[in-house]
Amino acid sequence: MIKRLLILLILFACGRAGAQELYIFTEPASNMPTGSLGARLNNRFYAMVHDGKYSYRLDPELMWGANKNLMVHLNLFASNMYEQGFKFEGGSLYAKYRFLSNDDVHSHFRMAAYGKIALVDNPAVLTVTHVHQIDNVEHTEKTTYFSDEISLDGNNSGFLAGTVATQLIHKLALSATVDYVNRWDNLNSEKSPYQSNHAINYSFSSGYLFLPRVYKDFKQTNFNLYCEFLGSTSLDYGSWFLDVGPAIQFIFNSVSRVDIGYRTQIAGNMLRMTKSQFLLRYEYNFLNLFSKK
Amino acid sequence: MKTILISLGIAIVTCFTSNVQAQFNKAELQASGLTCSLCSNAINKALKTLPFVESVQTDLNKNLFTITFKNGQKPDIDAISKKVEDAGFSVAKFWLLGDIKSLNIKPEAHAEVNGMNLHFVGVKTQVLNGQQRLQVIDKHFVLAKDFKKFSTETKMPCYQTGSMSDCCKPLQATASTNRIYHVTI
Repeated sequence: MIKRLLILLILFACGRAGAQELYIFTEPASNMPTGSLGARLNNRFYAMVHDGKYSYRLDPELMWGANKNLMVHLNLFASNMYEQGFKFEGGSLYAKYRFLSNDDVHSHFRMAAYGKIALVDNPAVLTVTHVHQIDNVEHTEKTTYFSDEISLDGNNSGFLAGTVATQLIHKLALSATVDYVNRWDNLNSEKSPYQSNHAINYSFSSGYLFLPRVYKDFKQTNFNLYCEFLGSTSLDYGSWFLDVGPAIQFIFNSVSRVDIGYRTQIAGNMLRMTKSQFLLRYEYNFLNLFSKK
Repeated sequence: MKTILISLGIAIVTCFTSNVQAQFNKAELQASGLTCSLCSNAINKALKTLPFVESVQTDLNKNLFTITFKNGQKPDIDAISKKVEDAGFSVAKFWLLGDIKSLNIKPEAHAEVNGMNLHFVGVKTQVLNGQQRLQVIDKHFVLAKDFKKFSTETKMPCYQTGSMSDCCKPLQATASTNRIYHVTI
């Protein structure tokens, strides 16, 4: 029912509104303005496969427009995914270089290359300790949960490199990414021999400006709808998954935004720790913070 | 006889170099590659950092920006175009607006207005008087495909480079810079 409603909403939006490329789970080929700084607070709630409970990751992010073609993101991660308490995990550095821009008044085609390095000190695998009481004697049992998914959003150390193409056609903004991701040993942890070491990630995103129909001023709140598909295929085992990620977005005063997204697996056979997550993000843009007069 | 000679002299001078008391007080630009008010705001804020800009008005539906220059200040329109590109977008169309008094123009001829060398393309020989809206058709002021189209209309190498060269000599303007802007009406 919810899926049907979403499809209806998206079709409705597609028919009558403008395009939007401020994607939630991926980055478009376009960059942020030169000399501007963006600050994000990403809150991710992961539904864990092993116990059905949610784990939480706090992911503050700084974004900087170095010049018109280059932008950089710095992320820090802290979560309670691997242990009971909330702990600092590490960080990542992302850079995107726009190398092609074919702009027209009501359409554009842009391409960019991007890379990311993540360093985290999580254990290589998720180990959960169960305590049983049998005849008043405590028994502890450790279970290890393997995952072949390589996520540089806080779970794994590694690097990725890829390319993104974004096309605006009249009222529809479409974007596709493909990248190669390689897992490194997490800091202070052994590499698990059973886990996939490299994979190809791919995504396809679309976005629609739903409101306002007619702009009046910069203070008007924008309401956008997104639908993204995100997949990965392990180059070691050939296992794969495909997620769908519907999301809504509000833009306030043309400087800040709130993203509410949900991402869940719709197909695949990859061993994963988590197959769905909620994302709640707040972003504020400091325009022209470093720009020359 | 003396007056005839003087007026002939003035006529010759104005024919070759037209240095007119005129001022551009506004510019209009249409930006391309925008998808939202956040993008427009990035351009809006960037334009306002320019020292010669008094105010910026925005038509968010048409991605049209009207820039009012500070009184008596010489606008640097290359800086305007750079601000738009630095914000991640492109200038699709750009117009200079101002009050012009008795400016003789003809195709492929130069004139100096407001300290800017202007090269007229695709115009009829005429005298401009009163409020004018001139479209700048140089690189970074039009879409890439429009630049290609205009390139077929003027064979002068200065259109490709944006600076005065041998092709400009017969009608050399007097502004202190070599930068030349190609405009049409």
